[in-house]
Amino acid sequence: MTMTPTMTTVEEPATKAPRRGGAIRYGRAVPFFVVPFGLLFILFYLLPIGYAIVQSLYTVERTGTFGPAREVFGGLEQYRRVFADGPFWASIGRVLLFGVVQVPVMLGLALLLALLLDSGLVKGRRFFRLAFFVPYAVPGVIAAIMWGFLYSPNLSPLKPVTSAVDLLSADFVLWAMANVVTWVYVGYNMLIIYSSLLAIPAEVYEAARLDGAGPARIAWSIKIPLVLPAIVLTTVFSIIGTLQLLAEPQVFRSFSSAVSSTYTPNLTVYSTSSVPNFNLAAAFSVVLALTTFVLSFAFLKFTSRSAR
Amino acid sequence: MRKRLSAVLISALALSACGSGGDDSSDGAAAASCAPSSGPVTITYTTWIPGIENVVKAWNDKNPTIQVKVQTGPNGNGGTYQNFFNQLKAGNPPDLGHIEYDALPSFRVQDGLLDVASCDIVAQAKDQFIPWTWNQVSFGDEKSAWGIPQDSGPMALFYRADLFEKNGIAIPKTWDEYAAAAEKVKAAGGYITNFSQSDINQFAGFTWQAGGRWFANDGQQWTVNLTDDKTKKVADYWQSLISKKLVSTVPPWTTEWDNAYNSSSAWTWVSAVWGANSIMSGAPRTAGKWRVAPMPQWSAGENVAGNWGGSATAIFKNSKHPYEAAKFALWLNTSEEALALLNKEAQLYPATTAGTTYSYLANPVGFYGDQKIYEVFAEAATKVTPDFTWGPTMTSTYANASDGFKAAVSGKGTLSDALAATQKSTVETLKSQAIPVKE
Repeated sequence: MTMTPTMTTVEEPATKAPRRGGAIRYGRAVPFFVVPFGLLFILFYLLPIGYAIVQSLYTVERTGTFGPAREVFGGLEQYRRVFADGPFWASIGRVLLFGVVQVPVMLGLALLLALLLDSGLVKGRRFFRLAFFVPYAVPGVIAAIMWGFLYSPNLSPLKPVTSAVDLLSADFVLWAMANVVTWVYVGYNMLIIYSSLLAIPAEVYEAARLDGAGPARIAWSIKIPLVLPAIVLTTVFSIIGTLQLLAEPQVFRSFSSAVSSTYTPNLTVYSTSSVPNFNLAAAFSVVLALTTFVLSFAFLKFTSRSAR
Repeated sequence: MRKRLSAVLISALALSACGSGGDDSSDGAAAASCAPSSGPVTITYTTWIPGIENVVKAWNDKNPTIQVKVQTGPNGNGGTYQNFFNQLKAGNPPDLGHIEYDALPSFRVQDGLLDVASCDIVAQAKDQFIPWTWNQVSFGDEKSAWGIPQDSGPMALFYRADLFEKNGIAIPKTWDEYAAAAEKVKAAGGYITNFSQSDINQFAGFTWQAGGRWFANDGQQWTVNLTDDKTKKVADYWQSLISKKLVSTVPPWTTEWDNAYNSSSAWTWVSAVWGANSIMSGAPRTAGKWRVAPMPQWSAGENVAGNWGGSATAIFKNSKHPYEAAKFALWLNTSEEALALLNKEAQLYPATTAGTTYSYLANPVGFYGDQKIYEVFAEAATKVTPDFTWGPTMTSTYANASDGFKAAVSGKGTLSDALAATQKSTVETLKSQAIPVKE
């Protein structure tokens, strides 16, 4: 921005009219591009968050058994309830366990697939690139229903397996869902890592080959370190996604005895808002968002420190 | 997250659009104005009755000035109630909504309903309804009504006549006989029934029959009692069947559940009259093999029925056309034409006294081997005790009980443990909503 006026004055004598017009148009272009985004950002992001925070600071009061509710300012009362809520924190623990196992497995697979596609060992690269990505095009709810049928003890086409091991029981259902999430998102993460692999200049490989490095060595010492930023990015996305798990447990809830109404933090939010207790649900959401923020930020801090 | 945020935003926008939000919804204005509108009106109606479009069409064809626009959704606890609550918060509910008796107190406590007794035409129609169904909408208060009764769910025993006969098992008349039959059915390779682990209403129906009462409201405060002796008796009974693996426990309302009946794995179902529709649509391969008998009794010679479900048509507060809405709702729930259609489309069983005498209820039903099944339910409807009160936060009570029941069928804890935990969490939920409750 500060450059613009300087450039205009310097070049003014040479290309008079068009330049000045250009400068003015450029000046208008800024709001032209920023305003739509800013508006949507405010409308669909800041305003709802602000509204949720405001809601979370209220409690209801009423008189008599059917007295109408009055919303009164309650300070941090709803937050006190959130922190005293055992099942909520248990569910955060549950999704963290889920994330610690599922995210590395999923991203490891995504990295492996991306490296394979990039290695030139695979024929039909374009086909596989698309094939790996296709599950991501299946809506999460549909994917969960589909896998639910595959896991079902009596209806599954894999009945010999599912009737022997109940994949929907308390011992397995978390990992059954991890499998669904992995199936949906592995291709998406692969694509991010793969596009980052494509951006590595060919000279680097050439130099490595001249130094006698084989494909495995190149992958380990050159490709992986160079795509690390992409892996960090996908990890942050995955941490966020894990904490906000909703569609899969919500669908599984209807056909698994092991998935309760407070199985994941977002399910707790959902059940609380259907009481309906919007104020408490808002407080749960705010705490969940903060937890997500802290974890993502801590991960970024950790990786940037270890990179140094 | 994003979905939730946008839902919140929509509420925010709607709230700002209607100015001062929740405050303007207090009494007065809406209640006093159950007067006819001038000119043609369109009213909106949300329900999940299968085939409702055909019933509404019959009305719309004859009433060009009161057109009804029907929206259908999932069943109440499956999502429609959540939508209603969100719409109420946002200030844009439909004029009419389908609300089951057990959920009416929850909507009233959120100040979402119009007292339809303020409409003369409704107050005058009161005597047409079976007294206990009216009690379900008036909560025992003579002067008010929070919906117009639509149907009831008297319970009976659906059973596979062919399998019972083939294996020489007598049709159980008491719960003891039912448990004994369960052993024989198991020996023959089936399950006597499927215990509903996540739809608590079935258990509530059993409790209703046994005389358990979960909630009481003295006007000053609520009493919650999910652990009384009668409830405990029912819980222990089913726990014993579950522990002995005499009942299957596939989740209700799933394809697995349909499969259990369609593949003849489950032999009976103690369910409400509308359950006739569930079996017909879920287990088409068993056509002609089912029959209906009265519900098993706790003591031989008794004749008491439970009730599972039953709904009212409620008018939401701030409806602009309460009179027209009431007029349609009365037609829907009292006229022979509408009741016959509702029975044909969805096997609904009327809540009016006259309704139980209509000729279509005397028809034999092919799926049930041409048995006149509604005669059994008509008898049961008169044997339902009238005074079962529902709590003001049933959504949460059901969710918590369901969590506990699911654990119990997975071998963790018992149904009684689940009810004790639900007792505690229900009191908590009431307190968090500032609803006075006795501890």
